[in-house]
Amino acid sequence: MFRFDPYSPEVDADPFPFYQTLRDEHPCFWSEEANMWILSRYADIVTALNDWETYSSAQGNLMTELPGRAGSTLGTTDPPRHDRLRSLIQMAVTKRALDHIIEPARASINEHLDAIGDASSFDFVSQVASRYTVDLLFYLFNMPEASKQAVHHNAVLMVQSDPLTHTKGPEHIAAFEWMSDFSGQLIEERKLAPGDDLMSQFIVAEIDGEKLLDREVQMTVTTLIMAGVESMSGFMSMMALNLADHPEQRRILVDDPACISDAVEESLRYNTSAQRFRRVLTRDVQLHGQTMKAGDFVGLAYGSGNRDERQFENPDIYDVTRKPKGHLGFGGGVHACLGTAIARLACKTAFEEFLKRYPDFSRVEQQLPWISSSTFRSPTRLELSIR
Amino acid sequence: MPKVTYVEFDGTETEVELQEGWTLMQGATLNGVAGVEGECGGSCACATCHCYIDEAFLDKLPAMAENEDEMLECTVSERKPSSRLSCQVKMSADLDGIIVHLPEAQS
Repeated sequence: MFRFDPYSPEVDADPFPFYQTLRDEHPCFWSEEANMWILSRYADIVTALNDWETYSSAQGNLMTELPGRAGSTLGTTDPPRHDRLRSLIQMAVTKRALDHIIEPARASINEHLDAIGDASSFDFVSQVASRYTVDLLFYLFNMPEASKQAVHHNAVLMVQSDPLTHTKGPEHIAAFEWMSDFSGQLIEERKLAPGDDLMSQFIVAEIDGEKLLDREVQMTVTTLIMAGVESMSGFMSMMALNLADHPEQRRILVDDPACISDAVEESLRYNTSAQRFRRVLTRDVQLHGQTMKAGDFVGLAYGSGNRDERQFENPDIYDVTRKPKGHLGFGGGVHACLGTAIARLACKTAFEEFLKRYPDFSRVEQQLPWISSSTFRSPTRLELSIR
Repeated sequence: MPKVTYVEFDGTETEVELQEGWTLMQGATLNGVAGVEGECGGSCACATCHCYIDEAFLDKLPAMAENEDEMLECTVSERKPSSRLSCQVKMSADLDGIIVHLPEAQS
């Protein structure tokens, strides 16, 4: 009998054969291990994302939710409050508002590439991607440099889940609590002396004349740090992996760096780090002969929708010239990723510099260690050979 | 399924069938209509799915929320009374046959 366990190391390593079976044979599948329905076809996922009244985010959006987080972040609030919260942050992270991050981003990536020195290989995850995304986030939020390592360490831990217990383990909860405390402390400091950074703007903001709830500010800042550090670093690592595994595609980018933006889009489609997010049903829904009940959780497998042959031609081919509009690499609908413009700009800048220095590279290990997460997918280490 | 016709700035017309509940943005991006970018994925956050709705359908549209109104101030092409963000207009039986004109530029 077919099973789909998003906690299993097999799914961490390679979810795509499972997705194929889900799409073809069980498009509305009850996963006992996940305790939720799994939707895997592109059209069903988009329909769910469009219909936020039915597919609510108010009980959390991570496949394995962190305690006390649901209802206090953008991703775990439904409209209309969601829309008001989001508009407070939105303008600061639109493409046009982000020109100021390009030069700091370029300086950061070059600093970390310089540090590789004469080595014949290096770990893209720990030596480049995570340091770079931490730099960017600290710049955006104007956070104290001394906390960089600890923030990174805890951001990586808090997105993980335990493959055996199917919940967050004590170390993951502790990391989340550390990050909440860290955010809480920053918020107190900014309240006393607000700057012009993104976090200060959010802290002093009001909705309809009311201050945001302390918990709302704290959980949102905690989530933005988690997403900004770990989700973006995970995605960059996936893109580096794709370029290592597809030298002919990498060559296209080396020859014409203007194609890097298209390669970012194709990587978001092909194997985005945000593989699965969760909703809860507010009413019964009939789909593909199944009845999903009000109150049931539903997992939206973005990574599967992005490989759905009903939507994308030759979906298992990595093709940087594809320009896959409508991909689910950032989710979609009202909750589509807030950081799309930052992520795109940051990835483009990083790979421009990276490919300039290292037009040729290959991966050292054939078996990669994968992060243990029911929501995200990326390698914890990606050793690249550059000589 | 209800139909929508997109008219690109150069006059090219594309008619597509669009499932109720899906947005005019999705109808465009999923059917190769080049004049819609939809960079933010449909969260009313980038103003790159700007469109002009044909007059005959203006009063059938769902009301505009404050967010959309604010974002429409950020469009690259001129905002007109018929301007909407196509990610904020969901297809419905009422809108069958709607004609959507696309601006010269989105970004």
